[in-house]
Amino acid sequence: MSEYMQTYQVKRVLTHNPGLKSFRFDRVIEAEPGQFLLAWLPGVDEKPFALSGVFEHEIEITVKAVGPFTSQFMNVQPGDWVGLRGPFGNGFQPIEGMVLVGGGIGNAPLRYLAQRLREEKLDFRWVIGVKTAEDLAFRDELESMPECMIVSEDGSIGKKGRAVDVLAAMHDSEPIIVLAASGPEAMLLAVHGFANTFSPDIPVQLSFERYMKCAVGLCGQCCLDGTGLRICVEGPVLSGHQLQGVTEWGRPHRGPSGRRPR
Amino acid sequence: MNIAGIELASPLVLASGIMGLSASSMERVAELGAGAVTAKSCGLEERKGHACPAILPFGFGLLNAVGLANPGVDDMIEELRTFRLQSEVPVFASIFGKTVDEFPEVAARIAEAMPSMIEVNVSCPNVASEFGRPFAADPALVGQITRKVRERVTDIPISIKLSLQCLSLAEVAKACADNGADAITAINSVGPGMIIDPNVRRPVLANRMGGLSGPAILPLAVRAVWEIAEAVSLPIIGTGGVETAEDVIQMVLAGATAVGVGTAVYTRGLAAFSSINSDLHVFMQERGINSLSDLKGAAHV
Repeated sequence: MSEYMQTYQVKRVLTHNPGLKSFRFDRVIEAEPGQFLLAWLPGVDEKPFALSGVFEHEIEITVKAVGPFTSQFMNVQPGDWVGLRGPFGNGFQPIEGMVLVGGGIGNAPLRYLAQRLREEKLDFRWVIGVKTAEDLAFRDELESMPECMIVSEDGSIGKKGRAVDVLAAMHDSEPIIVLAASGPEAMLLAVHGFANTFSPDIPVQLSFERYMKCAVGLCGQCCLDGTGLRICVEGPVLSGHQLQGVTEWGRPHRGPSGRRPR
Repeated sequence: MNIAGIELASPLVLASGIMGLSASSMERVAELGAGAVTAKSCGLEERKGHACPAILPFGFGLLNAVGLANPGVDDMIEELRTFRLQSEVPVFASIFGKTVDEFPEVAARIAEAMPSMIEVNVSCPNVASEFGRPFAADPALVGQITRKVRERVTDIPISIKLSLQCLSLAEVAKACADNGADAITAINSVGPGMIIDPNVRRPVLANRMGGLSGPAILPLAVRAVWEIAEAVSLPIIGTGGVETAEDVIQMVLAGATAVGVGTAVYTRGLAAFSSINSDLHVFMQERGINSLSDLKGAAHV
């Protein structure tokens, strides 16, 4: 696979719930966890999705229905053609002792990161945060993984609470030496805030999302205000150092026109 | 070097449409060695542009149909002002209009941000279904737009961005010169072209067709600059497929004063600016060339 458009037939669809599915394609690629593909539904649109798994002969993306495009994606069946290109961007670097923190669909790329950590025989812990049990993909697989701690905001699965809230207790039981997080921006910034309460800071790898059109660093849609870093090229996974100087945290993201809602 | 009275530390100008939505992204390119940066084309109103895929690499460059997506002139004024507060590098605005009369409106608005130049994009190839043929196809329309913009904006240089989609570049260039343009930017992306997916049997770009850019169009752009330089004495920002110092030299020999760099940000990364700058320096030093302007148009023998 490359940045050129190629279409592939969906090989398998894993339905976690009617609005949360994983799609597997017969494709072998070299990709780091956290890197993303552009997926094109012919006649609809094209959007970025992080890989949720890379297997011997298959790759997988996991899609949650949140808007018109992802809702259409729920209708995709085995045998349907989907355009894929990538992988794009910079991913996570697997490190011994890593603590993974995921929020909702942001757990998808962490599943691939966890797979890599296991393959490389590196110890890790993974806090899987969801709003409610329904939002959890790969439930059986994750519940049986000793490294995983599941937390839900409504207490419908695992411990009640938010992923970030359990970090302090985890640190007390065994010091956290590096954090990898993927999920809503408020969660990422909270993880960064937690990491910054220590001296020296706990190193972080945080995966951000922005609207994008090209994924190759040209369209400017995903550039962060303050530094101009491109989420599609220098990101989506940024270090704490790369967060310095960014002035757009907490503000709405630029949309397809490039306008940032006020 | 100097183009239309604007001093540039490097002949390389970030082309419009590339990393030009925000002050921060343009600043980054400026810091990496662009002599000037051009913002994304803006119109009176916000436009979402076409759905994706909108930008497609295909092996010899890019095919794109972004469709003049832009946040609208008000937001762009803010970005340009922010840029100007933070960078000494000249920034060019780029404007488009849906009608001849919209161009001077947008130009007068964007002039409030005091860009070093206003590029007038009469040549977007990707909005034909909405706007009809590019204005750049018709010398009379280009002349009218140039005159109307010139009448409204007297204190900022204007450059008209032209297209190969016309019968005679010489005629269009003369229409620019006769109506008060200070410079010409040539060329916009070429075509339009189309890529069809063999499996789903439909065009890949959401807009079906899009403008071609990158190394594939360099010879077309060099020829266009040549023709324009034969026709008028306006300074030219030679744009289209430039990736190396040698490409810059070709453009200058054809008659360009400055050179646009766009798709090279994809093919070579943002380091393209600093690499081309240093390679140019070496090229000139090795050949005892003191100034690029000594080479301007030198291939016209």
